[in-house]
Amino acid sequence: MKLNRNKVWSAAIAVTLTYTGAAYSDGHTADVYAPYEGTTLVVNFPAHPHYNAVLDVLPEFTEQTGIEVEVDQLQYLKMRERQTLELTKDEGDYDLISYVVFSKADYVYADQLENLAKYFMNPALADPNYDAEDLIDGYVQNIGVAGGAQGYLPGPTGSLFGIPFGSETSVLGYRKDIFEKHGLEVPQTYDELLEIACKIPELEPGMGGLASRAASGHQASHAFLLHLAPLGGRVFDEQWNPTINNAAAVEAATALKTIIDCGVEGSETFGPAEAAASFAQGQSAMFLDSIAFAAGFEDESRSTVAGNVGWALHPEGVRRGSQTGGFGIAIPSNAQNKEAAFLLMQWLTSKEADLMIAMAGGNPSRFSTYENPEYQAAYAYAETFGEALKYADPNWRPIIPPWGKINADLGTTLSQVLTEDLDIQEALDGVAERTRATMEEAGYYTWQ
Amino acid sequence: MSIARTNRMTPYLFLAPAGLVLLFALFYPICYMIYASFLDWNPSQRIGEADFVGLRNYTKLFSDPSFRESMWVTLKFAGVVVTLEMFLGVGLALLLDRNIRGMSLLRTLFILPMMIAPIVVGLMWRYMYHPTVGIFNKTLKSWGFDTIPWLSDGNWAFASVVIADVWQWTPFIFILSLAALQSLPTSAVEASKIDGASGWQQIIYIKLPLMLPVLIVTFLLRLIDSFKVLEVILVMTNGGPGLSTEILSLRINRTASEFRELGEAAAMSNLLLIVLLLLTFAMFIYNKAQDARAARLRAVEEEA
Repeated sequence: MKLNRNKVWSAAIAVTLTYTGAAYSDGHTADVYAPYEGTTLVVNFPAHPHYNAVLDVLPEFTEQTGIEVEVDQLQYLKMRERQTLELTKDEGDYDLISYVVFSKADYVYADQLENLAKYFMNPALADPNYDAEDLIDGYVQNIGVAGGAQGYLPGPTGSLFGIPFGSETSVLGYRKDIFEKHGLEVPQTYDELLEIACKIPELEPGMGGLASRAASGHQASHAFLLHLAPLGGRVFDEQWNPTINNAAAVEAATALKTIIDCGVEGSETFGPAEAAASFAQGQSAMFLDSIAFAAGFEDESRSTVAGNVGWALHPEGVRRGSQTGGFGIAIPSNAQNKEAAFLLMQWLTSKEADLMIAMAGGNPSRFSTYENPEYQAAYAYAETFGEALKYADPNWRPIIPPWGKINADLGTTLSQVLTEDLDIQEALDGVAERTRATMEEAGYYTWQ
Repeated sequence: MSIARTNRMTPYLFLAPAGLVLLFALFYPICYMIYASFLDWNPSQRIGEADFVGLRNYTKLFSDPSFRESMWVTLKFAGVVVTLEMFLGVGLALLLDRNIRGMSLLRTLFILPMMIAPIVVGLMWRYMYHPTVGIFNKTLKSWGFDTIPWLSDGNWAFASVVIADVWQWTPFIFILSLAALQSLPTSAVEASKIDGASGWQQIIYIKLPLMLPVLIVTFLLRLIDSFKVLEVILVMTNGGPGLSTEILSLRINRTASEFRELGEAAAMSNLLLIVLLLLTFAMFIYNKAQDARAARLRAVEEEA
């Protein structure tokens, strides 16, 4: 366990001071927290830039509310393993957990997360000024809601189990200097993207077009799904029939193969960190991945392209559709201080805290933060990212319990396509067939 | 009467604590694993909540081409790696079995790779194999050769993990072989010298046969270990490209954490255990047969 008493980041202080005054002038706020004063909440957060920023802001929560927070920070895959064990206990140690988006299905299905309705209904807990409309809709639907359409999507039967916190979408980063030098237009569509990706190596020998993840397994699958949604594909149709081998899917896989073929040498084995490094070291002219990497490219100690990076929306295929992912926060069913945990959760995702965390380098969860002039001034890409979020697609990948297996199969098969020149249609037909078997076994065709 | 019985019981009494420890520390987890392999068990469930599915996990495994592929990769990896390491390790030991100045320093240097944490070994090799900034491709390029797709081509990736493993574990065989060589009875070697045996003849007819018991144990230890390599490959290739380096322990790891099928992972672990047990038994029986043959030969000689 790591107890955090980090000094508040200087800029965050400036922002918080304004709001502390407001909170204290309003007599209500102090009353709300009074019953929980002195409580110590244990929270489980991943080691991630967003959560590092959160640590800077947390002391402010303790100061305002008198509720202590102890943070257990783990690498995100380790975090999931720990939670899997922790959530099956009768009495859990964690009061609030951050979860990776694909854990949603497993946790909700096993009845391990609190439905948030009863907290938002409780007048003693719910802040009337919370403004849930301002939360980025694609994130809420993708990360927070379960039980609606197809089980994992929002819909009339869905309900809220978590709140997005440290979420991400995909954007296109490009080298302004290189594009200017050769008079290239920033690609708006997939055709343009692929054309420029393959033109770059000719114009700038030794430089790759687009840096992408592609390593066998999860990474290759992720890269493929990134292209699948904008090109009009889906993994399943509404009856859970795999559509991963239709024309759109073949087009997406072909796009991925083109990108890798025109990419920097050895990119078949890149994970996200290596793809980002290849862009940061000036070996690739474009980068299509999560917004979480943006801050790193402007850091001169780690990036040789700082100041030369431009940002654009994820290019459009037959529709716009950027990914949604990252983390959300939720209250475990076996938590011991659920109400105080809700207060922390509400505070962390409030307008004020969201801005503070964003100023400290975190990912905003609210549109208002992206629109904030102060934030836009501090982070040049804020406006583009805010715009990109309007097209964030909650259904770019299915979040269902058997997904882990399908994802791995898809990813290893695509890796074979990329490295062994396996025929794309044939490869995807195989994936579709095995996916059907997996889904059959998991009982998804019981009603057909 | 009762004293006699007590006397007979005494050894068992003294063995009992060790037996109990063994029972709990060894058999309990194995039985647990065997039981788990008959369950449809998701890590979000407690073991009591999991459904009993009989042999389904096993039948599923045998009809799963990815598992078969992974089994084949494991066998291929273990076979290639252990053969190479045995040749190199024993060869090195034979070469260095002499009085060289600074031998103890050399020995320490040789076993250095073994002492490095596997994750670090994986990372180190991964960077050395890096397509553009890695030392291998950089060197090849500066000499004017074509670069090699070390980790991005299935066959090369397999070769790459083999090279890394050989680098790390040859010293293990080297050091055990060297110890065996140095404890050989000098009389036999001297006798052969007097009889005019050449260097090669000494090695083939005297040293290797005398070292054999140690070599067999070393071989077995290495074989068992090579079936369980995980971290180095996990870091270097994570089983890719495709399934070309996905050895069984990596697949077990993924089945448990990514696919969240603890029952199936347990079934795979059991199969791995069975394969290893069979290998060990085969080796054991071979050893016994050899001993028996030697004893028979001796008996025949004595009679004659």
